[in-house]
Amino acid sequence: MPLTLQRFTFRAMAAENEIQIHAEARSADAAARAAVEEVKRIEAKYSRYRHDSLLSRINARAGAGPTDIDEETQQLLAFADACYRQSGGCFDATSGVLRRVWRFNEGPAGIPTDEALAAVLPLIGWERVVLGDGTVRLPLRGMELDFGGFGKEYAVDRAALRLRDCGVESGMVNLAGDLAILAPQPGGVPWRVGIRHPRNPDAIIASLPIYSGAIATSGDYERFIEADGARHCHVLDPRTGRSARGFQSVTVHASSCVLAGSASTIAMLKGATEGRAWLESLGLPYLCVLEDGEIVNAMGEKVGAI
Amino acid sequence: MAATERDGSALAGLLQAALALPILVVPARAGAATVGEVGFTLLGYKEEGLMKVTEPVLWGDAVIDEKWELSASGVIDIITGASPQLVSNATGKPVQTITGASINDRRRTYNVKAGRRFGEFTFSASRAHSEEEDYLSHAFGLEARWDLNQKLTTLTAGYGKSNDRVRSSDNPALDEPRYTKEYLFGITQVLSPVAIVQSSLRYARGQGDYNDPYKLTLTFYPDAPPAFLPDTRPSSRDTWAWTTRYRRHYPSSDATLQVDYRYYHDDWGIDAHTLEGAWQFPLAEHYALRPALRYYTQSAADFYSPTIPRPTPEILSSDQRLAAFGGLSPSLRVIYRNDSGLTVEATAGYVYNARTLHFGGGGSEAFETLRAYYGLFSVSHAF
Amino acid sequence: MRILLLAAAALALAACVSVAPYQRGYLARPDMAFEPSAGTAEALGKTYSAKEAASGGASVGGGGCGCN
Repeated sequence: MPLTLQRFTFRAMAAENEIQIHAEARSADAAARAAVEEVKRIEAKYSRYRHDSLLSRINARAGAGPTDIDEETQQLLAFADACYRQSGGCFDATSGVLRRVWRFNEGPAGIPTDEALAAVLPLIGWERVVLGDGTVRLPLRGMELDFGGFGKEYAVDRAALRLRDCGVESGMVNLAGDLAILAPQPGGVPWRVGIRHPRNPDAIIASLPIYSGAIATSGDYERFIEADGARHCHVLDPRTGRSARGFQSVTVHASSCVLAGSASTIAMLKGATEGRAWLESLGLPYLCVLEDGEIVNAMGEKVGAI
Repeated sequence: MAATERDGSALAGLLQAALALPILVVPARAGAATVGEVGFTLLGYKEEGLMKVTEPVLWGDAVIDEKWELSASGVIDIITGASPQLVSNATGKPVQTITGASINDRRRTYNVKAGRRFGEFTFSASRAHSEEEDYLSHAFGLEARWDLNQKLTTLTAGYGKSNDRVRSSDNPALDEPRYTKEYLFGITQVLSPVAIVQSSLRYARGQGDYNDPYKLTLTFYPDAPPAFLPDTRPSSRDTWAWTTRYRRHYPSSDATLQVDYRYYHDDWGIDAHTLEGAWQFPLAEHYALRPALRYYTQSAADFYSPTIPRPTPEILSSDQRLAAFGGLSPSLRVIYRNDSGLTVEATAGYVYNARTLHFGGGGSEAFETLRAYYGLFSVSHAF
Repeated sequence: MRILLLAAAALALAACVSVAPYQRGYLARPDMAFEPSAGTAEALGKTYSAKEAASGGASVGGGGCGCN
């Protein structure tokens, strides 16, 4: 029975997403449905925007007692802990409180004053989060957990696992540009992954032939405020409360999307010089666009610019 | 803050944490994007009893630093059996006969092209040289390409000039010039994620010697002495070629449709249409098959005649390439392509040109059916 | 002139499509290229033009040949 390429699109996590599968039509439907369900399950469980999510319940109990968490959540918090330690503290899953003072849809008026930042910075600090046996406690009232930088990426990897569990050999899960590729297309053909131009949403800066693995990009273009010629983007440094500088975007290719996503986010936070040195130390293939528009291609010979 | 770790322990730490998650982990493997290619092609051609051409072509191209585009090719033709031809009606009907010894000729050509990208624009210059015992050509071309509309549309404009010398193996004294200027305008348009079309118009104006020194016409009249005329053609030729090419990929069957159409017109009175369709589809892992069919039809040149009319005209050619005829050419290509960039192609083709295949009938009576076979073998490696 | 009008009409129709860059993977396939490999194009082009009156394609500067 010949395999055909089936494409499914769906909305989740406030974006248009897609799944592509090489399979017979019927089995592809079931696999895609399972993968989409998994993405929606993770969204419902860990979205900050849903009051009934587990994450919202943990945050609502900040300053009060511990919240019981299941094994999956414990594993994700362990991953957040590894990111905090390996990044030297610049990746902090409690930095979400900064969004209270950064209002990205209000233009220059949305940039917080030093006083406003000083009011929320004390609420940031991963080392204060108390992880108990099957519980988590945020000690200060107003503290917040969020899974930015690995939550969506985790959903990509989980959806990819569901596809594999459904017998899919060759397929791709793409959640708004963060994606995982299970295996090459039939005939050993690589998938083509276009990397978005950070200043032009319709253009790409490179087309990567990817056989397998995950790709994640962190950029300064999703939400930002332009003021006095400077760009204040939504990637915020937990130590200063100010926007990350130095990169327009960082794309990393790794064996899982959580790894690619955390690596690109940490590099973005570290800034151009330190961030690149850090990416080099990881030894993962990456491609980044510096503040001045220069493209640094560290995919070796793996990149063809378009 | 901790110092940046250089020993990969940051990766080990993150990787270990990622592996502890209940997720799918697959090896990160990227392919090699083509930045260059070298290849070798061998053509063997056999025409019933007449001619055999073996043509090794060596070629390569490369993109350097994402800015420079370079390509080059070299060809050595070994043509055996190209013979002087006489069209005579001695037997009642005009027929082609071979006169004199066959010619063993060798053609050497090379082409080089260099281009430089400047953002949306690419400018390139090319040089071509071709040398045969009886023909010499020096040509150059300039081309500008403009990518618009997020690269959905590409406009191309080109200018070319060719300075040629026409010679003859039979006549050492023959050395006549031929100059050609070419102008090209083209557009390439992405129609959808799986379809792309290109249309280009080429106009060329040539001046000089177009006579074929190997073609002669001999005509017997019932009531007059026979007339004998060498091939004599106009001293200029304006040609138009409008080429449209369409490619459509069908992801569900992993197959691609290729359709090319060319309309050709010149001021010698020739109108020609070429339509080629091909379907490339996977055969097995790494293998693809490409059956193709090409149809060609042309009208006769105004001055074409297999016999010499009376009074003798100033220009006349009995060369059957200027007759009205049509041709069908089926071919089959097997393509092998592996992950390391190696591509091997083998093509077998058949050419059948006949008076009866002229579109709408009315092909030239004297056109002698041509049957030819060719085999093409090509190896290339992308890097 | 009619040819030019047709080409212009084709362009006008095509101008309203939009293909996101990440969707262009198929267009990069070798079988979507307009020319086969340089060697194949060269060899077949000369084979046909030696037997037909029409010649010339979508490029300039290639030079002529005796092609007898």
